[in-house]
Amino acid sequence: MNHIKLVIIASRNLKRNSRRTLITVLVSSAGFAALAIVGGYMDFTFFGLQEMTICRGFSSSGGTGHIQIVRKEALTKEEQYPMEFGIADNDILQETINNSNKDVKATVPRIEFTGLISNGERATSFLGMGVKPEKEIKLMNYWDDVYKNSKKNVFQEEMYKRLAMSPQNGVLLGESMAKALGATVGSTLMLMGTTVDGAVNAVDVTVAGIINNSMKTVDRYYLVTKIETAQSLMQTDKVSKILLVLDNTCKTDGVLPAVASKINRPGNNAGYSVIPWYQLAEYYHSVKDAYRIIFGFTGIIVVLIVFLSAANTMLMSTMERVREIGTLKAMGISNRWISMMFLYEGLFIGVMSIVVGLLFKEIFTLIINNANFEMPPPPGMSSTYFLKIYPAFHFLPWISLLLIFSTTCSGFLTLFKIRKLSIVNSLTHV
Amino acid sequence: MIEKVVAKLAGVSKYYGTGEGRITALDRVDFEVNKGDFVVLAGLSGSGKSTMLHLLGCIDKQDEGESYIDGIDTTRMSLEQLAPVRLEKIGFVFQSFNLVPVLTAFENVELPLLFKGIDKNTIKSRVNDILHELGLQERMHHFPREMSGGQQQRVAIARALVTNPILILADEPTANLDSKTGADIVNLLIELNQKKNITVVLASHDSVVLDRIKHIVNIRDGKINSHS
Ligand SMILES: Nc1ncnc2c1ncn2[C@@H]1O[C@H](COP(=O)(O)OP(=O)(O)O)[C@@H](O)[C@H]1O
Ligand SMILES: [Mg+2]
Repeated sequence: MNHIKLVIIASRNLKRNSRRTLITVLVSSAGFAALAIVGGYMDFTFFGLQEMTICRGFSSSGGTGHIQIVRKEALTKEEQYPMEFGIADNDILQETINNSNKDVKATVPRIEFTGLISNGERATSFLGMGVKPEKEIKLMNYWDDVYKNSKKNVFQEEMYKRLAMSPQNGVLLGESMAKALGATVGSTLMLMGTTVDGAVNAVDVTVAGIINNSMKTVDRYYLVTKIETAQSLMQTDKVSKILLVLDNTCKTDGVLPAVASKINRPGNNAGYSVIPWYQLAEYYHSVKDAYRIIFGFTGIIVVLIVFLSAANTMLMSTMERVREIGTLKAMGISNRWISMMFLYEGLFIGVMSIVVGLLFKEIFTLIINNANFEMPPPPGMSSTYFLKIYPAFHFLPWISLLLIFSTTCSGFLTLFKIRKLSIVNSLTHV
Repeated sequence: MIEKVVAKLAGVSKYYGTGEGRITALDRVDFEVNKGDFVVLAGLSGSGKSTMLHLLGCIDKQDEGESYIDGIDTTRMSLEQLAPVRLEKIGFVFQSFNLVPVLTAFENVELPLLFKGIDKNTIKSRVNDILHELGLQERMHHFPREMSGGQQQRVAIARALVTNPILILADEPTANLDSKTGADIVNLLIELNQKKNITVVLASHDSVVLDRIKHIVNIRDGKINSHS
């Protein structure tokens, strides 16, 4: 009952000081729009980071795919000999998965192996990856949304194409490794490693391409061969892992259990672990955490600005209405009821700011998304991209709550001022 | 008939400032208001009239002495604690009307009732009645800025009366009005006092008031100088 009248008083006072109300609402709604747009940018960044992690990976180690399949032992035990916990019969396994699930667009086998590479005079160790180049290219091309209109990083793709076309034993080397070995494209080198039986084996390879990895430590040991080269070096037909590429990242959690149950049927003693991409994406998570902290700080600053601006308005409002406040106090209306009036003013400002802020947000998003701002390459990448703001609807309730909370709090702040006002002095205040 | 004491000050002093510059606004004042009284506090500007009304109305605290309202000892109660006492028992009329500018006449009068937890219909009829009684039926939905000074002061009187307080305190209610309108306001208060036995204490040094009232308390330098 009382509240209705207080709401009326609040709204009429806001109307009476429409200029000041407008300014406060503009500041608060700009804050709202800023937070919403930052949220939309954050979503865009995280999405890009996620898709990059999946289809290309960072530091040229290759994308994670959406799901990876490995033998369970590979996660818990140390191998006694190369490929002890590799996946045998991987062709059948890939076929099973491909045939059983429509959401799986491709399966990508990989081998991880180590050994020495020599130019006949000097040898150096490598961390190698055996791949099916055409499948890796498929993985790289799986996603083409945010980076669609950008200058695409076609270099890596080109290298994989060369690897695919090279005679039997092509290799891609890291630039610093190539330098150490004095190798150029076309040089012949020798890979040395251990077979599954523990014997030493060697394979001649030809340099098909040289890749510059942004991380120096990676670059020094970087080596990619076709899967067959790695297999013949180790005298095996196993692979280390199989990556699954889905047609959409959001299907990952749905496909996961289906695949797991398909390949881990009772009686099938192999025992596979089925790992979603986000459990493999350390870099993704660390960047995400760092961004969250930055965005969090931005949020705190914006909220603070909104709060201070609203608090300033409220205090000005109390200063202008000292006599009115004094009169209400003299009439026997408690300080808390009186400050409630200002609380409602804050609430109204908050609500209006949300409405106006939403409008601002949509307008700015539209402008930014159509302006094709070219952004510098994100960390770990070499290609530029176009800035996009995502809708970020899931942030809006939180931003709204924060805004309402801070403007309403600023109204509540008046209680301290009102308490201190002497009734007698404020009655004659002009 | 035993006269009932509505408000009482006993040995009350009020000071402003400290040390050398200390002003004694009220000096050991004893004062009683009885039910149905119409008392005028007269005296020069600065003599202590307002201070006395403030203490009677529980909107300021004395430095010495005791104060009572309707039998309640208010001496040791804080101003915030006294808020419900004011709401319940006292009606104020001020020199510059002090209406809430964003509320209409009706809403201004209604305001104190809303905080007393009275039901909607009762409020509506009471406010209606009182505004009619004070000849404000035409102005009910006007805002203060749309009304003359006299009309605003009538609304203020209506607001003071609507809670049926035991005491109406009016501080220079005619000072901001021309003499004709001032006389109307005083006549209205006199009429309310006579017809409804409403207790009024009025501070004024306006001849418009002094000519009409018999019970005058003269104040000088914070002391009660004479009764009449
Ligand atoms: N807030 C105040 N601060 C300092 N002195 C005051 C204050 N209010 C009143 N006084 C002083 O107290 C004395 C009595 O004032 P007041 O009660 O307002 O007189 P009146 O209403 O008769 O004009 C005066 O000397 C006045 O200057
Ligand atoms: Mg005075």
